[in-house]
Amino acid sequence: MKIVSDLLTSIEGIQIFYIVGLLIFVVLFIVITIRTMRMPDKEMENIKNSILADGESEEITTSN
Amino acid sequence: MENQKFYYDNKIVKLFILATLVWGVVGILVGILAAAQLAFPVFNFGLEYTTFGRVRPLHTNAIIFAFVGNAIFAGVYYSMQKLLKTRMFSDTLSKIHFWGWQTIIVLAAVTLLAGITTSKEYAELEWPIDIMITIIWVIFGWNMIGTLIVRRVQHIYAAIWWYLATFLGVAILHVVNSFELPISLFKSYSIYAGAQDAVVQWWYGHNAVAFFLTTPFLGLMYYYLPKAANRPIYSYKLSIIHFWSLIFLYMWAGPHHLLYQALPEWAQALGVTFSIMLIAPSWGGMINGLLTLRGAWDKVRDSAALKFLVVGVTAYGMSTFEGPMMSLKTVNQITHFTDWTIAHVHIAGMGWNGGLVFGMLYWLVPKLFKSKLFSEKLANIHFWMSTLAILLYAIPLYWAAVTQWLMWQEYTPEGFLAYPNFLETLTQIVPMYMVRVVAGFLFLGGFLIMVFNLAKTMKAGSFINNEASEAPALVLAGKRNPVTETVHRWMERKAVRFSILTFVALAIGGAVEIIPMIFIKSNVPTLESVTPYTPLELEGRDIYVAEGCYVCHSQMVRPFRWETDRYGEYSKIGEFVYDYPFQWGSRRTGPDLARAGVIGGPMYKNAAWHYNHFMDPQKMNEESIMPNYAWLAVKNVDVTMTPKKIRAMQTLGVPYEEGYDQKAVADLMAQAQTISDDLKASGIELAPEKQMIALIAYLHKLGRDIMSENAAVTEEHGETAEQQQAHEITLLDTPEDLEAGKKLYQANCVVCHGPEGKGIPPAFPSLVDDEWIKGNKPADVYHSIAEGNVAKGMIPYKNMLSEKQITQLASYVLITLHEQNQEK
Ligand code: HEC
Ligand code: HEC
Repeated sequence: MKIVSDLLTSIEGIQIFYIVGLLIFVVLFIVITIRTMRMPDKEMENIKNSILADGESEEITTSN
Repeated sequence: MENQKFYYDNKIVKLFILATLVWGVVGILVGILAAAQLAFPVFNFGLEYTTFGRVRPLHTNAIIFAFVGNAIFAGVYYSMQKLLKTRMFSDTLSKIHFWGWQTIIVLAAVTLLAGITTSKEYAELEWPIDIMITIIWVIFGWNMIGTLIVRRVQHIYAAIWWYLATFLGVAILHVVNSFELPISLFKSYSIYAGAQDAVVQWWYGHNAVAFFLTTPFLGLMYYYLPKAANRPIYSYKLSIIHFWSLIFLYMWAGPHHLLYQALPEWAQALGVTFSIMLIAPSWGGMINGLLTLRGAWDKVRDSAALKFLVVGVTAYGMSTFEGPMMSLKTVNQITHFTDWTIAHVHIAGMGWNGGLVFGMLYWLVPKLFKSKLFSEKLANIHFWMSTLAILLYAIPLYWAAVTQWLMWQEYTPEGFLAYPNFLETLTQIVPMYMVRVVAGFLFLGGFLIMVFNLAKTMKAGSFINNEASEAPALVLAGKRNPVTETVHRWMERKAVRFSILTFVALAIGGAVEIIPMIFIKSNVPTLESVTPYTPLELEGRDIYVAEGCYVCHSQMVRPFRWETDRYGEYSKIGEFVYDYPFQWGSRRTGPDLARAGVIGGPMYKNAAWHYNHFMDPQKMNEESIMPNYAWLAVKNVDVTMTPKKIRAMQTLGVPYEEGYDQKAVADLMAQAQTISDDLKASGIELAPEKQMIALIAYLHKLGRDIMSENAAVTEEHGETAEQQQAHEITLLDTPEDLEAGKKLYQANCVVCHGPEGKGIPPAFPSLVDDEWIKGNKPADVYHSIAEGNVAKGMIPYKNMLSEKQITQLASYVLITLHEQNQEK
């Protein structure tokens, strides 16, 4: 197995898949996290509560 | 803004709920049957349609795609309409989706029991059904995206992202994994071979868990948990972050199913890394679910629906912690091939998926039928029964896994395997399998109580097929310019853009994992000695696939000493280049067969042995739980297909010479004749065209091509034949030695020589009569046992047992067995 995997790891350019993929993930993750964190809390509250307000729930409990 | 009037389509939700209940009962019943078969092989009923190899795929498919699938659709169709304040996009699409899906399920059940299978776990269905699934799935997605476009709310709530990810994820997985070359309506070959096929399959298998059993359920959690608790979700920001990271990371983790197997190191490392990273987003989901209930735990106490949801989310947290742990290589060597994985998936399946479905149904059915749940008390009983069933299922199986693993790798002080006979390690855990049957019944009992409770609720309530509602049309958020862009256009772009983003995230992970494997195709080192299957072996292989032998037998020797000692040389990636599809298996209920054809290796059995074993495994070994395959001696190989199969193999790149398809049948018959003759020499009449002959040919091919490489390994061990014959053997006649000899004999020899030493003449000689092939002097018998006679089927034990043990055996044979026989 070792011999086999050595052969494969030596194929040129295979690490690039790792690296590019990971980079894309890290960049996206940071962008999404920052953008999400900067969204106003008020807007979040509205969305959260909106699903309870479909005219059927008895009451709406707003979270703190 | 004026309110628009519209109607919710409740009928489609009701249909999916009913289907969920029906298929749930069926799926659990089939599961109980499968469990019973492993505890008591009589439940295989001696029929080809009901052997474990076919029943297990039916169980997994019925639970995942029929029970869970219908539950997902019920949950999605209800919540989408409510969340988007609109009716589903098209009633026709909804109906086609429902009836199409049920048709697929019925076809799946029939074909799987008939042995029509691709053998790829959770994707066993043959190509015509695969195409149907694709069509119905696209209809589901079309209906969903259509509904998004005509929605009446601005924001797309979190639950719906998960639904969309489900649609896209499953679509990608299903299409990529199902590439196959049809040779008839009922048979196709995977276009991937060996290690590539394994990577694609487990990328699929792992992500089927992700996109069929996780993402839709997170969606359901984000809707039904807040609804049932009547509180908003804990953190919406967390839901955004964990959504994107989860769908992105999942796609990479597939190779954790193939650790220590014939797979490049980098792919294994990739799988491990991403599996560990997955803990974070998974736990993000669990925490978000549980914290939603903060300050509302009193409600949980009173509501069975909430209790189920809580158990579901907790089980999700447990499984998503356990899963990454199982991806660590050291842990994986214990959990892989044992019952650990089975326990793991049942915590997830019965706990997470079951819990969420039950919780959802207890909340949704009264809502739809405008009544109260018939009996909260019965629901509580169901809750406790099902929770107990999960524990009763999982704990014995974890125990079984650890026990069996410890036995597999235990050595005697002399340096030999403590349990060289695989069956001993299995017999030890069969009691656990009996407990599992009880757990199954308990779970079924609870389920039936729920069905009764819900039926009563439905009866008491009133159901409206089309429920009226009204909502204002979608108003634009201020920033957009309504002059240049119609409302419709803009919304559409948003929903579609969202789908595209999700698709990209999913595609990256898939591409990273799959493309390198396909890309290096030409670089998978071919071992010189590995030759394509002969036509007979190929037919035998197809029988192996159809009977589902891979369900119980692996073909993958991992590079551990305790595996190579038991089975032979570890498996190499280059051995599998002609395997369409791969047959590595995932659970070793029976011993590994990768080296079944290595003459002189510990796994080799001659044709006569295989014949007797297939006819009745329990006669060979009372404790065996392998089903019998007597019909293989009755049914013929269909040679009319053989040329076509050869041509298909050529298309896939197997180097048969030009025009070989024309000669294939003649070659097949010639090879079959030699096996038939061999059997005749042992007094067994079996016509060459019988399926069993082909299967034996296939088993004798396994590992044979790399045999020469092993010769060196075998020689390292022990002394040469001459040396052993040289020293005189004195029998050990103390009671302790004879007792030890008896144990060894029962563990290793009864399969061929019978408990009393009478054998199954003429194939397996009696050890208690006066006829001795090799002589009955202690040194002769010692030699017979130590050196064996590989060609005739007697195993050389010198590499498995110490000199002392072999002497004890010889003593047991010549003293105890001999005396016992005299008495009679
Ligand atoms: C329910 C699980 C199960 C299924 C399905 C099953 N087997 Fe087995 N098999 C076992 C068990 C357990 C043993 C070990 C006990 C014994 O020898 O019977 C075994 C033993 C064997 C052996 C002997 C291995 C050795 O050298 O000790 C062979 C060969 C074999 N099976 C082939 C097959 C084939 C071929 C099929 C499909 C037609 C099949 N098995 C289906 C469970 C199974
Ligand atoms: C897979 C089937 C199989 C198993 C397992 C097996 N044997 Fe045998 N054994 C045979 C066959 C076949 C022969 C006949 C070999 C020959 O014709 O030379 C044989 C021959 C023998 C002989 C020589 C008999 C004679 O007439 O000279 C002895 C002794 C023997 N076995 C002992 C054992 C012992 C002890 C064990 C357990 C450690 C064992 N065998 C396990 C198949 C088996």
